[in-house]
Amino acid sequence: MTALVDVLLRAVVVLAGTALATFALLWHAPGDPALAIAVARYDAVVPPEVLDQIRAQAGLDAGFWSAFRHWITPILTGDFGSSSVSGRPVWPDLRDAIALTVPLALAGLAIGLVLSVPLAVFATRRPGGWLDRSTVAVASLGAAIPAYWLGLLLILLFAVHLGWLPAMGAQTAAHMILPALTLGLGVAASLMRILRSGLLEARGQPFLPALARRGVARNRIGRDHVAPHAAVPVVTVLGLELAFLLEGAVIVEVIFARPGLGSFLVQAISARDFPKVQAVVILTALLFVTVNLLIDLTYRLLDPRTGSRDA
Amino acid sequence: MRSVLMLTAVLGLLAVFGPSLAPHDPTAIDIPNRLAPPGGVYPLGTDAIGRCVLSRLLHGASWSLGLAFLVSVIGLIAGTLIGLVAAMGGRFVDWIVMRATDSFLAFPDLVAAVVIAGVLGAGTGSLVFALTVTGWMRYARVARGIGLSFGSRGHVIQARLAGLSPVAIARWHYLPALAPSLVVVWTGMLARAILGISALGFLGFGVQPPTPEWGTMLLDARVHLRSTPLLMIWPGLAIVATVLAINLAGDALRDSLSPQERSA
Amino acid sequence: MLRVEALFVERGGRPVLHGVDLTLAPGRTLAVIGESGAGKSTLIGAMLGIVRSRSGSVTWDGGDLRTAYPSLVMQEPRAAFNPALSLRRSVMEPVRARRLELPDGRIGRLCAGLELDPGLLDRRPHEVSIGQAQRLGILRALIASPPIVLFDEPLSALDAVTQKHTASLIAALQREEGFAALVVTHDLGYAAAHADDVVILRNGRIEEAAAAQSFFRAPRTAYGRALREAALALGALERIA
Repeated sequence: MTALVDVLLRAVVVLAGTALATFALLWHAPGDPALAIAVARYDAVVPPEVLDQIRAQAGLDAGFWSAFRHWITPILTGDFGSSSVSGRPVWPDLRDAIALTVPLALAGLAIGLVLSVPLAVFATRRPGGWLDRSTVAVASLGAAIPAYWLGLLLILLFAVHLGWLPAMGAQTAAHMILPALTLGLGVAASLMRILRSGLLEARGQPFLPALARRGVARNRIGRDHVAPHAAVPVVTVLGLELAFLLEGAVIVEVIFARPGLGSFLVQAISARDFPKVQAVVILTALLFVTVNLLIDLTYRLLDPRTGSRDA
Repeated sequence: MRSVLMLTAVLGLLAVFGPSLAPHDPTAIDIPNRLAPPGGVYPLGTDAIGRCVLSRLLHGASWSLGLAFLVSVIGLIAGTLIGLVAAMGGRFVDWIVMRATDSFLAFPDLVAAVVIAGVLGAGTGSLVFALTVTGWMRYARVARGIGLSFGSRGHVIQARLAGLSPVAIARWHYLPALAPSLVVVWTGMLARAILGISALGFLGFGVQPPTPEWGTMLLDARVHLRSTPLLMIWPGLAIVATVLAINLAGDALRDSLSPQERSA
Repeated sequence: MLRVEALFVERGGRPVLHGVDLTLAPGRTLAVIGESGAGKSTLIGAMLGIVRSRSGSVTWDGGDLRTAYPSLVMQEPRAAFNPALSLRRSVMEPVRARRLELPDGRIGRLCAGLELDPGLLDRRPHEVSIGQAQRLGILRALIASPPIVLFDEPLSALDAVTQKHTASLIAALQREEGFAALVVTHDLGYAAAHADDVVILRNGRIEEAAAAQSFFRAPRTAYGRALREAALALGALERIA
């Protein structure tokens, strides 16, 4: 029970820290925040008295902490405000963007799992064999290829040279194939490394040869003794892959000119549309803190000895 | 350790002397020869406004490597200091510092770097700041993780009894033992910094044109993907080769450390 | 003069030391005797502030013991030295840390007293024997002329011959230097040979405190008698009576 309280307390402190860091960043951004709010609200040049009024309303004139309080209060109630460019509420647009990115991320994750899991399982049956070594080599290469180059290479091959698939936009399901493949290959490369070392460790458990001598079938050993042991790090990996997928979505959506969370963020930054930027930042932080909290709790369930991951 | 030193030397030489090997001025425009194929005066051809691709790659090496080195070393120093403060400062300080670290880790670092660099405005200063602010946490975790067990070590207790200051204890009793693991982390972060610099360049939030940098070169090349695909091959190859070399050196270094240090 | 008053230490909510009182005068040797788990190492830790105590005071001449820079000789000789530094650097650490001026030839005299080749100082901790490492540990403990030296099972890592030899070197140096010695040990033979006073620690309490001579002649408590009988049976103690 104290463990649960500790985990929750950590999550709250981390979220508060992220919010503070985000606000500090916006506070130090070049430009007059009052002017930005004025432009968003009135869409016109406003007299200085109005700017002063806005400063007072937003707590901007009373220093950092007062402004932070004014800033955080609506966010805590789930109100992300309105775009400082279009004046439209942020949340509906953000929701639509997320709805476009989630299928892409899931498709990427699926491709990554389909490619990496069987390969890692077969490769580690004979550690040091040709399959194992080539798997490691491909995974190392994959880790060094940035998504933005891989995406361009895939466009060059499948869209330009072969003409099989569309490259830009998101009109049809076929438009999803290349972006998902770009994400999926990256996921596969990172998963392969982690799965391989996890499986090697699981296969190296000291009691496995004894089971084999007693005549327990190889497949049963794998199912009952190797898989559960290798599953523990997978929980962590999924947390890491989530970060990878979000980063990948930013890049991939820009390359393939797809609407979604990533292009939402990049466009918002380019337009200096801070209400949109902070909404993405806060939702992302919330997502990752929640995932880490679940990972922490899963660890405690899977292995009671683990007090916490950084202990 | 030797492989890392060699690699650092090679990359350092490339960063320092690469530009002087360039056959042309990397920003010199030659419109009549735009999008020229490799060969002749321009060994790797020219880009959309006739600038020498090879010269831009070589000058880009010093930007990419130099900035990555700067970012990863600032991160190394800051992260190590923060980790040592957590490890030596007692349980309360440790808790606070580690929650601050978690706050920064609560975010995919590239996304955070994009946000920071973008909000602060494009430019090399913002780029370095963004990648450093998002790049110190692994050092801090490693330094803190190993250092935490040091408070009960005999030589640390002796140093405290002798009246040595905490700073001197950190310098002489913690750092030598942390150094190998920190160097391994550093190789990984150097590779990440190179990827981060070019990613920000590719998104338009990094080093600004006309400065040659591999990521911005890719961004420029993207428009001519159909007509001149080679233009995007070169900077991509440069990034992959550099990152791969750094990662392999890092792996070799990790494997050469004792198992005890590896698990730490 | 060392004065420990009502020292109370808890670990995990369980008391490990229940109000320990001790005194020790300059030049004297106090042996703290007890079996494993009696709280001997905790006592040293709490005196030096390495282990947090819940209450009680530890003073030297009325001031906090730590401000008098006590020295510690550890049970595991090599652990006291930083493997990354030369032995000379480690030995000189107290001098360097407090910017002290050493009298001419002090290292040479101490090395002679400890039968150490000064050339060993240029080696690393893993390049000397355990016995040498322990004498180097004593050298480091004495270098800055501390008023008091705490010895935590100083001989238990050494073989029997080296134990006897090292113990006599410590005793000779103590006569020269005049430091107070608090020795935690489970070796009654050592206590009988070198201690002026003994304290028997049992389950975190002082069972018996006496002058060494009177304790080894006639322990007052049943536990003290049992310890003495066991040591006699093992031949660790020569019959004094």
